[in-house]
Amino acid sequence: MANIFWSNIFRKGDSELHTIASLWQATPLFSNIPERQTEMLCSKMHVRRFKPGETVFSQGDQGAGAILVLEGTVRVMANQTQLAQLESGDFFGEIALAAPERRTADATATSASRLVYFLKQDLEEWIEYEPRLGARFLMNLSAALAQRLFEANKLIADR
Amino acid sequence: MSWEKSPHIQTFKLFAIVVAVCLSSFYLISSVLVPVVISFTLYALFEPATLYLVRHNFNHSLSIMIMLVFLLIVSVLIIGFALPALFDQVTLLQSKLPQIAKQLEKLLTGYGEFLANEFGANVDISELTLSILSESSSLGQSALIKVSNSLLNFVIFFILVPFLTYYLLKDFKRARNDLMNWLPNSSFELGWLIYHNVSRQLNAYTRGVMLQSLIMAVFCSLGFSLIGLDIPVLLGAITGMLNLVPYVGPVISVILALLVGAAMTPFEPSVLYLAVAVIIAAQIFDNLVVIPAVVAHAVDLHPVQAILGIIIFGSLFGTVGVILAMPAIAAGKIVISNIYADMANASLKSVA
Repeated sequence: MANIFWSNIFRKGDSELHTIASLWQATPLFSNIPERQTEMLCSKMHVRRFKPGETVFSQGDQGAGAILVLEGTVRVMANQTQLAQLESGDFFGEIALAAPERRTADATATSASRLVYFLKQDLEEWIEYEPRLGARFLMNLSAALAQRLFEANKLIADR
Repeated sequence: MSWEKSPHIQTFKLFAIVVAVCLSSFYLISSVLVPVVISFTLYALFEPATLYLVRHNFNHSLSIMIMLVFLLIVSVLIIGFALPALFDQVTLLQSKLPQIAKQLEKLLTGYGEFLANEFGANVDISELTLSILSESSSLGQSALIKVSNSLLNFVIFFILVPFLTYYLLKDFKRARNDLMNWLPNSSFELGWLIYHNVSRQLNAYTRGVMLQSLIMAVFCSLGFSLIGLDIPVLLGAITGMLNLVPYVGPVISVILALLVGAAMTPFEPSVLYLAVAVIIAAQIFDNLVVIPAVVAHAVDLHPVQAILGIIIFGSLFGTVGVILAMPAIAAGKIVISNIYADMANASLKSVA
């Protein structure tokens, strides 16, 4: 019998884990990362529930990792301007995986949402387990950040 | 902005809660604090090796068992070979206590005569000597009793520590995640950041000081052997352990080495100077080579903070508190700076 103290009562069910892994695999961050490894990494992620209108993070907050929308919708705003309306499968806040920078925008749940936190600490531990795949992931992360920068520059140039 | 909303006050309130929870937890587990601390230390030491084995396709449970078997072999070797030698040296020290007392009396009488002849100072050395002798005798006896009790406790811990270490290696991260899930959404990321920073610093500190103690113990044991001081291995081991207590530890090491040197027959004053030279050389080596290489900036504390922390933690939790003072204060500094940064940001936003 499992020990009550040590057993994980929040353990994610297999189907949910599979859903989370599928959503992450569809993002550029997990491009060319094998499904089994993605699932192993996803088993360490943290699912949080948010009420409609609840703040996910605010500009200037210290960020601990990237966030994936599992269910619901999230609005991202900066300086009173809406930058994005995110839904299931979208991710945001990935700068925190790369650098200890503060959050650059406000994120608010616009409906009852479930968000998956992928913490920098979990990424670092995973890289220790899987250095080669970790290097591949970091290349994907660099590409994603470069793409965001390119889009931001384009937005500024268009104005 | 009212003073209650000031980030300083908010930080202080939150930090006071964190400290109260930590101190209450320490108090609740005070009877098993030593095995818990040892188990966490072993966890910090063995976790990288366990991860290494897992990375090389070993099953997680098997990797932990390999680590525990390694721990068992090292423990058996220590008990089989090192402990009898240490017991002999403790017995030797016990038999030398009367000689140490006599030598101390002789030294003090000599200094009394010197003071009387040179400066005309009339110091009642005999009374002072009697008082020191009775104090040192009772201290020596109580120290020996404590050593015996510690050895008995060690046998009990020999069962408890591997048990706790096994479960820490196996389930600590899962239990930690469960605990962190209780944080509200607003503090979730901040909580993880603080945990991450504190655990990284504590892991680095634990691994660093264990290696530092070992190096100091070997250095001093060799040095004491070379100068012909009695019980070199025991003294070296004690000096290595005392090195865990900054500033105060090396001073106690010098006093111990001087007492043992003073009890040697025939008495050779040169051994005393050489013993002090060994400890000073060890400290120089420690500060110039060992600390920059293995402890680095794991704990960056002002000497006044360190001394005050040692005194306060020592009075609260005894010997264990003295050893835990430095990492606990360093962890406290990280917690308070992270909470303050968050509160200051929240305060700025509310003003805007």
